[in-house]
Amino acid sequence: MRRAARRKSRPVEIELGLIRQAQRGDRRAFGELVRRHREGTINVVYRMCGDAALAEEAAQEAFIRAWTNLPKYKPRSPFRNWLYRIAVNVARDALRRERPSVDMDSVVVASPERGPEAAAEVEESSQRVRQAVLNLPPASRSVLVLREYENLSYREIADTLGIPIGTVMSRLNYARGLLRQTLTPYMEGA
Amino acid sequence: MRDHASHWLGAYLDGELRRLRRRWVESHLEECTACQRELNSLKTLRALLQESPAMEPAIASGRFAAQVALKLPRRQEQPPAVRALEMGWRMVPVGLLLVLAFVQTVFIVAGAIRVALWLGLGGDVAAVVFPSSAGGVSFPDVFALSQASLVDAFQMTIGLVRSGAALAWLPVLNVLLLVVIGMLYWSWLASWWVRRRHQQLTASNGLG
Repeated sequence: MRRAARRKSRPVEIELGLIRQAQRGDRRAFGELVRRHREGTINVVYRMCGDAALAEEAAQEAFIRAWTNLPKYKPRSPFRNWLYRIAVNVARDALRRERPSVDMDSVVVASPERGPEAAAEVEESSQRVRQAVLNLPPASRSVLVLREYENLSYREIADTLGIPIGTVMSRLNYARGLLRQTLTPYMEGA
Repeated sequence: MRDHASHWLGAYLDGELRRLRRRWVESHLEECTACQRELNSLKTLRALLQESPAMEPAIASGRFAAQVALKLPRRQEQPPAVRALEMGWRMVPVGLLLVLAFVQTVFIVAGAIRVALWLGLGGDVAAVVFPSSAGGVSFPDVFALSQASLVDAFQMTIGLVRSGAALAWLPVLNVLLLVVIGMLYWSWLASWWVRRRHQQLTASNGLG
């Protein structure tokens, strides 16, 4: 049991070490943190704004903000959650500046085994889902994205967004209610 | 709708309900077809959301990190003087505690000396310290301070001070120092709180 716990805590310790080094100004340590959290951060921004190019740009902006604010970061909450908070805020700012659009190029083409018709169907369904998520109010969207795509617990979402757990729950209920209304035809077919 | 479990179904699906509430939802689901339908619909929605693929980043991990590294601004380092000042400010409570310990030690030692003199261990010095023969206040008066009420103690202290005894000022000085140290500590605590609030506000603005 102890060995398992130790093995589990090792990556956390390594990350804490990287954070401490980066807080002291070590750019290489920060680079490692960027590599570790790049995918998650890009996806949070992408789910928030729905534009692949914008997502990568905004994710870079999130990391720059994280670097600037890193000396103030206290490892009471996981670094990932702190970073996601920045990413959500950056995505909101980016959305305010630019109109959201669904990037057709970013849609992953479905498996050819399903056949072209099935692939086209899946693609259309994915587009609809993404658009429906994008049409949610930003406050509910961020909660939904962190829960459904990043698998954060209610407590983690509350910490990340700085809102009470009750609000997390009500925003999720609201978002899911809206999505069920919008996506009814696709849900019946599913 | 109030009797239904709709409000809790999302949290139930997410595994976020506590045991009692979860049991209630489970027993409700056994008999309520409307809630069963709603739960199934939530499950379908989840499956549909998961079908929507994650983004495949166009830029490779290493290149992305390099691009970020190029854009990182220089952090403004605090000058050593400011850092030293900051450290000094943080050490204020420790300093005050040390001063308090020192002051109390001095008063305890002074008290012990006074007792020794009163017992006649100091020879002629006792006459200088306790000028009771000159119509002042004797050591038993000073000793009585510890047993007197607050008003009595105050009046006796005034009497001791007026008498001009060399050690008579000690209790007054002790109280004064305690008040000063207490005030300094509370001022530091208040400024620490204000500073912390300010830092929290600026930190959340920075993230926003």
